[in-house]
Amino acid sequence: MNTLIKLEVIRTLRNKKFMFFSVLYPAALYLLIAGGASETELVKGTHLTLPLLMMVSMASFGAITAVLVGQSERIAKEREKGWVRQLRLTALPGRGYVTAKVASAAVVSLPSIVVVFVVAAAVKHVRFDAAWQWIALTFAIWAGSIVFAALGVAIGYLATGDAVRPITMIIYFGLSALGGLWFPTASFPSWVQKIIEWVPTHAYAALGQAIEQGNAPHLKDVSILVGYLVIFAGAAAWLYRRDTQKA
Amino acid sequence: MTTTASTFTGEGRRTGAPVVSFEHVSKSYGAVKAVADLDLQLYPGETVALLGPNGAGKSSTLDLLLGLRAPDAGRVELFGTTPQRAIEQGKIGAVLQSGGLMEEVKVRELVKLACDLHPRAYPVEQVLEQAGLTEIADRMVNKLSGGQEQRVRFALATAGANELIVLDEPTTGMDVTARQTFWTTMRDQARQGRAILFATHYLEEADAIADRVIVLHRGRVLADGSAAEIKARAGARRIVFDLDGHIGEGALRELPFLAALEISGRTVRIQSHDADATVHALYGLGLYPRNLEVAGLGLEQAFIAITDAATAEEAAR
Ligand SMILES: Nc1ncnc2c1ncn2[C@@H]1O[C@H](COP(=O)(O)OP(=O)(O)OP(=O)(O)O)[C@@H](O)[C@H]1O
Ligand SMILES: [Mg+2]
Repeated sequence: MNTLIKLEVIRTLRNKKFMFFSVLYPAALYLLIAGGASETELVKGTHLTLPLLMMVSMASFGAITAVLVGQSERIAKEREKGWVRQLRLTALPGRGYVTAKVASAAVVSLPSIVVVFVVAAAVKHVRFDAAWQWIALTFAIWAGSIVFAALGVAIGYLATGDAVRPITMIIYFGLSALGGLWFPTASFPSWVQKIIEWVPTHAYAALGQAIEQGNAPHLKDVSILVGYLVIFAGAAAWLYRRDTQKA
Repeated sequence: MTTTASTFTGEGRRTGAPVVSFEHVSKSYGAVKAVADLDLQLYPGETVALLGPNGAGKSSTLDLLLGLRAPDAGRVELFGTTPQRAIEQGKIGAVLQSGGLMEEVKVRELVKLACDLHPRAYPVEQVLEQAGLTEIADRMVNKLSGGQEQRVRFALATAGANELIVLDEPTTGMDVTARQTFWTTMRDQARQGRAILFATHYLEEADAIADRVIVLHRGRVLADGSAAEIKARAGARRIVFDLDGHIGEGALRELPFLAALEISGRTVRIQSHDADATVHALYGLGLYPRNLEVAGLGLEQAFIAITDAATAEEAAR
């Protein structure tokens, strides 16, 4: 199983186009959005600047996109080519396959996060009160992205061929909007807000927000994410074994 | 192929518990009945060829056997358990007709993966060597030729000691040497008591290697026996002779037990269900056939005779 993990990581690194795109575009998008923003003016209702807020948003957003879209499409393609059929004839258990896929996703998301941070610090002079916040943020966003990598693997098994991209996009946009990543959720009715608290993207964003304000992440958000990781990874492993469709 | 006739005898086979067991297994894709009420047992040490025209259900049968598809009805068992369990125990090696390979990796890396995943693996270098991959071990998998890819599949299927090897058209695209090494390896495996099941369109492979031949047609078993039995079962023998002077085709058509007649120049080729009676009648016509040859059908002709007969029978219904 370790060989498979190693091999999945190696081949992801070898795929230069995929790496280049996944690693660099969140940083590019960051410059586009926060490039002209003031470095000192505070965003209303917070004591943080826009470049800092956007840095965390873009790092999270980039990490989710890379692992969710990247994994689901690559897996759907592998199924189409018949590699997964061949792999299912080995003694490898379903969880081994899922672990390897998630590990290879993590390899992509880590540099994409770091690049956004480096660009923000260098170009927009983003600083934190304490150095631990950088480390904690990197780790939190990276660890959180693993939850969505597992979701990507599950989607790769659920959908085939042409359907993968639209399905991934719908889930992705749905999760982002519901998680309150796009519009402030404070204006929503309270029962909607109650639901939103349980959306994985909301918990994911909350991790970063807690750390950028100098607090530790809430236990509730961490538990929610761990819960989703178990669900998504379990679903992915189950779908891998159950997959009796040819494609 | 220059392989000699099979050295396997039927002695001692079909002993012990079956390796593979199909019980009334059916599988349809919409209106297409790919596998129809299939009953089949394979035993340890058997080398079985699965023959059948395109679309006969060979790949579907192998998919069901390997648990890659679930049957609509009936039961498939490997080693007395489910296909999945048997696979997890590392008892089965398989080459699929539609099996892709992992991309962006080197041949050696992929073969090493297969070895690492196998509970009773052979050394990587040995597997590479056996599959004729040593020289191209450092190439990228997605840059290989069709025959080279097929060798990689073969390597994946023989990465460790399996008890059953399943091959779907394994030698398609391989050159002569690769084919020969392939079958030499398979013979070795069979000698060690492993069961081998392979689907093929190369009938000479089936004739030379298999000690049991199963002919599938529209998801049903048409014939099941040794190659010799299949040839005999086709019922016909081949009679070839030359005739001098005028050849009365009408008279020849009237010969008893005639299954097929073909005249080209001076040469007459006949398939007969009772060669003795046909030849006897031939002389009875006052003809003097020269260079007379009477022989059994080759497996290929027998195969065509059997499947044609089945198609005709179905059309008549
Ligand atoms: N995924 C599928 N969806 C629909 N029909 C299928 C599918 N796979 C196979 N079939 C049909 O089932 C029948 C049996 O196909 P199968 O692939 O088992 O044949 P085969 O004997 O392996 O043929 P070949 O010699 O061409 O490989 C065919 O009529 C085929 O069209
Ligand atoms: Mg086939």
